[in-house]
Amino acid sequence: MVKDRFDRLLVLLLFTAIIALAVLLAVDAPRGGPHGSGLDKAMEREMAYQARVSLLQKLYGPVESLRQTGNLQAALLKLDELARKYPGEAHGYILQGEILRETGALAEAVASYVEGVRLNGEYVDGKSPLSRRKEIRQLVDEGLKDIGVRAKSHPENRSLAATLKKTYYLQSRLAGGCE
Amino acid sequence: MNLRDGHFWMVVTAGFLLGALGILLSVWGNPENTGICVSCFIENSAGSLGFHDNPRMQYLRPELIGFVLGAVLSASVFREFRSRGGSAPLPRLVSGIFMMVGCAVFMGCPIKLFLRFTAGDLTAAAGIVGLVGGVWIGLKGLANGVTLGRQAQERGGSGLLVPAFSVLLLIFLIIRPGFLIFSGLGSAAQHAPWLVALISGLLLGVLAQRSRFCITGSVRDTFLMGGRSPLLWGFMAFFIAAVSFNVATGRFHPGLYGQPGAHLEHLWSFLGMGLVGWISVLIGGCPFRQLIKAGEGDADAGLVVMGMFIGGALVQSWGIAATAAGVSLYGKVGVLLGFIFVLAACLVFRESATE
Repeated sequence: MVKDRFDRLLVLLLFTAIIALAVLLAVDAPRGGPHGSGLDKAMEREMAYQARVSLLQKLYGPVESLRQTGNLQAALLKLDELARKYPGEAHGYILQGEILRETGALAEAVASYVEGVRLNGEYVDGKSPLSRRKEIRQLVDEGLKDIGVRAKSHPENRSLAATLKKTYYLQSRLAGGCE
Repeated sequence: MNLRDGHFWMVVTAGFLLGALGILLSVWGNPENTGICVSCFIENSAGSLGFHDNPRMQYLRPELIGFVLGAVLSASVFREFRSRGGSAPLPRLVSGIFMMVGCAVFMGCPIKLFLRFTAGDLTAAAGIVGLVGGVWIGLKGLANGVTLGRQAQERGGSGLLVPAFSVLLLIFLIIRPGFLIFSGLGSAAQHAPWLVALISGLLLGVLAQRSRFCITGSVRDTFLMGGRSPLLWGFMAFFIAAVSFNVATGRFHPGLYGQPGAHLEHLWSFLGMGLVGWISVLIGGCPFRQLIKAGEGDADAGLVVMGMFIGGALVQSWGIAATAAGVSLYGKVGVLLGFIFVLAACLVFRESATE
């Protein structure tokens, strides 16, 4: 393999580079390197995530208060206002779904939950602080029983079929899988 | 079928363990119906390396590292490790990208296709028809002179690069440097204990290298040789094991709706898997087989693996990957572009073969 002086030089440099790398890792790695803390993506992400959860709780706190006092219409109006300010925020859709379900508007509740879950899958994760897994499971069971039966007896009703499809979507997300 | 043939039993064992571990890894923590899915693992690993920003798909999957290193180990012990390559490298790299597009639109690789089906997911049926159709068209192409050209023994050990990359990933998995992402969200948070996953991957890597077992290879050989193909029996062992373990672990839920990691756009499931089947025949194996071949020193397969990593990142970053809600416009465009690529490649490589 080593034929001449040039090969020997290459081998020497190769070993030097390997030793330098080993020394660098041995000396610097335990300290995390000069920019070690800046590279810890897991920590950065966790902090950003916690900040986001706190912000959501703060933003939607008034909605929760109105809901707890039974002022559901006012809560929906407040959600509407927040949706204009923060369009595409999943938490608003989830809260809207919860309130609509309390008012008995099952189909609308399913649609809201679907929007929320599509935007942010954390709501079906069991371990997430934002998890609504239990509520979504109850909604799916209720939806399949109620909407499923009605859709079967009225196959011409497209709106019922669409709601049933959305319920299946939530069921599929609850079942898990890799996505 | 020769029952006294050692290779026959090696294939059957590989198929059986692939089916069994495909279910057991889900029981031990991997996402539902995703005990083994090469495309999902590559998307997760690409995310962990920071190639895409979907936090639900960022986990360095030890099984993937195990597949390659198991093949390296086996090929080295049995003196089958040979650096080889030089057969249409760039088209192979692009093939790897489009293979991931097809898998992402279906939501799984050919192994997961059957894991889903054996768990009762009837939406996978369209994918099965697509995969078989894709393999059949691919074979028609081969019969009509489409070939990517011969490989040659390569100087300089280029076949060592993918094994070296896998060793690097193994080191990353063990020391977990801060720049790697191990997400705690969604399916990334669902994983078997890393050592169990790694050992399972190594075992399957060794067996797959010895047996040459792969899903699309089984379909291809069945078309070519019928019941005489050992791979058909390996596939049957895989299928029976998967059904048995799904039933035994309470994971068999037959139905069309509400299945984990599945959508109802059957045409696109069909086309996605059709694309994967066709490409697999052209480049000599499904995503799993490409990993094993890369572990044997096949630099061409190594380029497919690199293409799959690029594809794994792109399908997540560009919204190509399907979800339970269905297939996005970008996903549909991606599959059609894949077919345009394969058709053009067939035309070009047929010409060069007949020159």
